[in-house]
Amino acid sequence: MKRSVCSGCSLLCDDIMVKSDGIYIDEVFGACLKGKEKFDQVTSQNRILSPIIRKDETLQKASWDEALQRTVDLIKKSKKPLIYGLSNSSCEAQLKGIELAKLINGFIDSNASICQGKVLDNAVNSGITLTTITEIINKADLILLWGSNAAESIPRLLNKVLFSRGKFRMTGREIKTLIIIDPVKTASFNTMGVRDVALRITPGKDIELIKVLKEECCAADSIPSEGVAGLDKDDMKRLLQHLSGAEYGVIFVGQGLLTPQKNSNLINELLELVQMINIKQERGRITLAMMGGHFNMNGFDHVALSMYGKRGNLHFKDNQILETDENIISKIENEDFDCSIFIGTDPISHFPMSLSSKLAKKPIILIDNRNSATLQLASIVLPTVITGIECSGLAYRLDHIPIELKKIINPPSKIPTDEEILNQIIQKLKSDGGN
Amino acid sequence: MMEVIDMNFILNTVRRMENDQSKEFSLGDSKSLVEKLAIAFINPKDFDKLNLSSKPNLKISSNFGIVIVKGIADENVPEGTVLMPISIWSNQITGIENSELIYKNLEVDVEGTKEQVDDLNSLINNIKEA
Repeated sequence: MKRSVCSGCSLLCDDIMVKSDGIYIDEVFGACLKGKEKFDQVTSQNRILSPIIRKDETLQKASWDEALQRTVDLIKKSKKPLIYGLSNSSCEAQLKGIELAKLINGFIDSNASICQGKVLDNAVNSGITLTTITEIINKADLILLWGSNAAESIPRLLNKVLFSRGKFRMTGREIKTLIIIDPVKTASFNTMGVRDVALRITPGKDIELIKVLKEECCAADSIPSEGVAGLDKDDMKRLLQHLSGAEYGVIFVGQGLLTPQKNSNLINELLELVQMINIKQERGRITLAMMGGHFNMNGFDHVALSMYGKRGNLHFKDNQILETDENIISKIENEDFDCSIFIGTDPISHFPMSLSSKLAKKPIILIDNRNSATLQLASIVLPTVITGIECSGLAYRLDHIPIELKKIINPPSKIPTDEEILNQIIQKLKSDGGN
Repeated sequence: MMEVIDMNFILNTVRRMENDQSKEFSLGDSKSLVEKLAIAFINPKDFDKLNLSSKPNLKISSNFGIVIVKGIADENVPEGTVLMPISIWSNQITGIENSELIYKNLEVDVEGTKEQVDDLNSLINNIKEA
């Protein structure tokens, strides 16, 4: 029995026990449902075990050499290749992805750009007070889930941060207040106790709540008597009292807060609110934490920043990085690409139909380990291992702490890692005379 | 002839462990994909107003498209809101504004229907042929 890190989500739990002989996994202890499903994927019937290419409009199994040659041929024909995904890959693979983008004059980005990366983009000007899981475990007396359903998206998060007993505190759950702001009564509401605060906000009205809270920070009694956003005045006062009176508070920002608003920047407003509360704060401070879904959603940001000083949206031309306001969405929307390479992601399912249909018009190269809607439309599919189970590598936890993932078993049929596949493509492109 | 009731709702797409697209693609089959993802949750009061006991499926339309999914009553969903798991089904009616993805707080029209729930192959063919 060995202690392992779980790559089921971005919490990267390092207390999972796995019984394995190095070939098969016999048992997994301590993982949540999401983590267990990740281990179940090893022997899943929908696992991709051999390369697939599209021939005569149908998907057919192919040899590795043929699939790799076709991949390189497609890339060589491409003038505007897109590379996207990589949040389910190690940092080593992300680095190779950037190397490939540079070699082929491509545009590369990760899933973070349409998810939690938006918060970091907004924080460039205003700054942001982040925190770590360890700090929350040890110090937090206030946990606010805002538009985030932690119980289902990061299932063991609340076990760790809400029900734990901190090192610097004599007490645990009983002194921690949980506040949830959400229009829907999610599974996370089931963890609430008598001292906690449930705020069922009107859908889409978070911005109104934030603006009034900011006004109240500047001038007391700014809250309208009828309340705002479906919350009454007393609820809002209680919310502000908790935020400004906490010794160590954390706001977990969920997808509910990342939705664009007409005429307002909700994330900026939130960052400003946190700053204003922290100025008022006399006992401690309020921090923010993001809840990315994929296990290494933060990794690409760190790799790209360390290499090129940019968090994402890297566009290469003649070995140089171009200044661009483009993002993966505008690239696809404007059909400013002629071939796409997706690594460990399923954009045909994840993106609105207006984008999926544009992706489907151009050749798709998919590097993944499981069936998906994107596979159904791909020109070439290269099978890969499950990182964190069948290969090792570095990943960044949701609080930006680097965690080393260890290989537990050998992959089936000598399937290569994402990093190895990307390296094979790079080497073949170079040996074939480049792009 | 029964009157067709068409109501305005706010659509929010969500992730639920029981309705996780990645899990269904990894571990499920085409039947489980439809069962777990081609669904929409609405408040029981809205369920009654739409007369869904006789027309169990929902035709949901936005400015971006139309999808037919199974309607499920869920008292945790506020009235006037429809929740859908993030999937290829929900993404038939999500869209883009100013190069930003709009997955939440979308205005949609909802009506009960006896038409069949869209299957995965028809959605993929629609994407291919669009």
